[in-house]
Amino acid sequence: MSVKSFYVHIPFCKKICSYCDFCKLFYSTGYVLDYLNCLEDEILNCYQGEELDTIYIGGGTPSCLSDSELEKLFSILSCLKKSHDCEVTIEANFDSLTKSKLDICKKFGVNRISFGLETTHPWILKKMNRDLDLDYVKEIISYCKSIGIFNINVDLMYAFVGESVKEVEEDIDFILSLDVNHVSCYSLILEENTKLYIDNEKEISEDVDFSMYEVIKKKLADSGFCHYEISNFGKDGYFSKHNLCYWKNDCYYGVGLGASGYLGDVRYQNTRSIQHYLQKKYRLEEEKLDLYDKMEYEVILNLRTKYGISKKKFKKRYGKNFEEVYSYHDLVRDGYLVDDGEYVVIPDGFWYLSNEILVKLLEGVING
Amino acid sequence: MRQKNIRNFCIIAHIDHGKSTLADRILEMTGSISKRELKSQMLDSMDIERERGITIKLNAVQLTYQYEGEEYYFHLIDTPGHVDFSYEVSRSLAACEGALLVVDAAQGVEAQTLANLYLALDNNLEVIPVVNKIDLPNADLDKVSEELENIGFNRENIIFTSAKTGQGIDTLLEAIIKKIPAPKGGVDEPLKALIFDSLFDAYRGVIVSIRVVSGKVKVGDIIRMMETGASYEVVGLSINTPKEEKVQSLKAGEVGYLYASIKSISDVLVGDTITLDNRPADKALPGYKPMKPMVYSGLYPIESSKFEDLREGLDKLKLNDASLTAEPETSKALGFGFRCGFLGLLHMEVIEERIEREFGIDLIATSPSVVYEVVLTDGSKIMVDSPTKMPKRELISKTLEPYVKTSIFTPSDYIGPIMELCQDKRGNFVNMEYLDQSRVMIHYELPLSEIVYDFFDKLKSYTKGYASFDYELIGYRESNLVKMDILLNGDIVDALSVIVHKDFAYKRGKIVVEKLKEIIPRQMFEVPIQAAIGTHVIARTDIKALRKNVLAKCYGGDVTRKKKLLEKQKEGKKRMKQIGSVEVPQEAFLSILSTTEK
Repeated sequence: MSVKSFYVHIPFCKKICSYCDFCKLFYSTGYVLDYLNCLEDEILNCYQGEELDTIYIGGGTPSCLSDSELEKLFSILSCLKKSHDCEVTIEANFDSLTKSKLDICKKFGVNRISFGLETTHPWILKKMNRDLDLDYVKEIISYCKSIGIFNINVDLMYAFVGESVKEVEEDIDFILSLDVNHVSCYSLILEENTKLYIDNEKEISEDVDFSMYEVIKKKLADSGFCHYEISNFGKDGYFSKHNLCYWKNDCYYGVGLGASGYLGDVRYQNTRSIQHYLQKKYRLEEEKLDLYDKMEYEVILNLRTKYGISKKKFKKRYGKNFEEVYSYHDLVRDGYLVDDGEYVVIPDGFWYLSNEILVKLLEGVING
Repeated sequence: MRQKNIRNFCIIAHIDHGKSTLADRILEMTGSISKRELKSQMLDSMDIERERGITIKLNAVQLTYQYEGEEYYFHLIDTPGHVDFSYEVSRSLAACEGALLVVDAAQGVEAQTLANLYLALDNNLEVIPVVNKIDLPNADLDKVSEELENIGFNRENIIFTSAKTGQGIDTLLEAIIKKIPAPKGGVDEPLKALIFDSLFDAYRGVIVSIRVVSGKVKVGDIIRMMETGASYEVVGLSINTPKEEKVQSLKAGEVGYLYASIKSISDVLVGDTITLDNRPADKALPGYKPMKPMVYSGLYPIESSKFEDLREGLDKLKLNDASLTAEPETSKALGFGFRCGFLGLLHMEVIEERIEREFGIDLIATSPSVVYEVVLTDGSKIMVDSPTKMPKRELISKTLEPYVKTSIFTPSDYIGPIMELCQDKRGNFVNMEYLDQSRVMIHYELPLSEIVYDFFDKLKSYTKGYASFDYELIGYRESNLVKMDILLNGDIVDALSVIVHKDFAYKRGKIVVEKLKEIIPRQMFEVPIQAAIGTHVIARTDIKALRKNVLAKCYGGDVTRKKKLLEKQKEGKKRMKQIGSVEVPQEAFLSILSTTEK
């Protein structure tokens, strides 16, 4: 399988959000240049020169790099060969992205921006340990469009204890007012090693969480968004090509601190220790996948999207018919899976049960 | 061994009053074992016994003691300390002439102290009162002595010991020689030997503990069991000192072990009399009663593939435990398992624990049931030991259930709450005896099923653990009983059915469905839980459908973690039983038992 996607991790942040358990560090000028040098080294060591359809610069907060650091990052990435319609995404926060940084991104060929907005409500922002100026949000988004970047995602996070369905609706209304083409909506997870977890934050009730999800789905659908993955909504032509690479179980490079990648038979995970990384000990662990692991990943990831599992592609990739590997007739009978002969999908109405459905499906492995 | 120098005795006590420690100390003081060899509580050989401080299997030891130039032979017979084994206790007592009644110097007289004392007196034993643990800082010798006086002992006969420090043990050994009578019984009379315990040995078959009451048995004799009629040739005889020593014969008054290539422990009935085939005694020793299980429960392996292992495990336990019964049974909900009969709740717990621990099988045990008597409309009578065997209501003319008489021993402060509890458990008050100003013995007649349910836990919580309790079966009484089914998503879960008194069914049904709602996690769809008598639903609640899904929320590209999350979820599911379309955690089956009402 040829590799067509590339992920670059920039771990630095100006502030640490209370819910975040991604690999992140406080931004400090001292580290950044060394880090970028190592990043270059890692890329030169692993990249085989494939033509890429997607590049994704995530974090952390890539937008917290200074103008000159961004220039340096892009000069490093210029060794990557891009296809003519390559999707190049950078993640950004409104508190650090400036017009001049946007210009630098544009110059390198960034054509998609993914903004962390998360909420519009001051009390929740405070809980998240984030800053947000709504007027500046509007200004920056118009500027993106003015320089020709229309492929814009906004992240929303919901389901804080005390948050009402109405507040979530207000967030969605604000996002819709920005006239962007893509929205990712994540319900809060209290992860270990986050400030919220340590502070003993409580989980919202299942039922409220569910109503919020329903409201989000409804409002976005009414505004012409397609719900193409459990947590992702996009207008036609604006689905995230990079994320779809994950969900199609395609291979991708991942470089940078804490990044993960999938190449050939191996899924790997980079170190989360900056010390190790700067000593050029990039890899933390590698998982060699056998046929059944690969098929399992295929199922888990494919079923997150409205496309589901293509039985033809399954057969082509693994040399087995999907029906021969998994017995899933009960799930079809009960409506949790739909099989139209070519594709097996979880219908949109049951995506919130995908864990349960996946466990049942994977338990049904034949000759496993 | 001269008969006049033999002393056969046992030690009886309330649980935890130091019986086994005292036995150890006697062993050490008589030089039978050195301190170095003394594993704490030598006579209790099973792990669980040592952990729980309960003696389950009997043991008899021969000790020699020099006193005033004479050599004395003590046979110390250890007895189980729990009400479940009261018949076995009574047979052990029947093998003795005397008993040491041990009372904790801080706790004083308790329910089992009295129950055991009465058993000892029934068997005409000379009872020596012993106040033990006098080294405890909260020992109250005056108070305990007064309590012993109140139950009929003379203060000057009480012996004070500390099994821990060894204090008073000499005096005790002297009292054993002086107070406990030597056995009687002519060596030339026909053989009568009382079976008071048995044990299965893989090489020698059943090893039978006997007390020779009259006559003599020697290696090579053909013996006959008077109850079963089975006869065997004696292959070997031995005594325990506590190391095994082979002997050629056992004579009237002596205690030892016999083995005769007996293949099944069910051929050896505790309480039966052994005699000689060629010169039988005309009458068996009195007191034999067949042992019948009082409590039944279904035991199922959580992993259905372990069914055969469970069968083997139960077979092994049955080798050593004639009172344990096990018949295969099938449950729609739980698959293949065994309906097991136990002497009581403790016996049941011990067996379950041993299966889990010694054979590594995780079990689901269904709610324990007593044995009901059902008279059908055609006049015939059947015994029902499982709710699933309860006939249809239209076929039943009347139902009866076993009743027990309880003796609850309590500080008088708790009389109110205890009476309230007993009324609540369908009890009939019998009487109340004041032992002294602050201690009372309350007698109630209660259905055994209520005791099996949660009586013991409640009693402890109502009395802050101060009350102690004992019971004896008094027979069957008519009672308006119904079978209550539990339905999950419309299907009866056979393993959750219980037999309850009709007047209490509503209350019980409500508690059970609420409890199940707590225990059963949300499923992919809404699941109604109902309690029903026949087709009549008496309680209902719903488990809401699952609404949230951790994986759905997982952000970003670290795909490996998602898979790990799913693996974890899959592992979690292994501990569940799939019942129809509903996944039920194993605790649900016990929940019927452990419901709390307040």
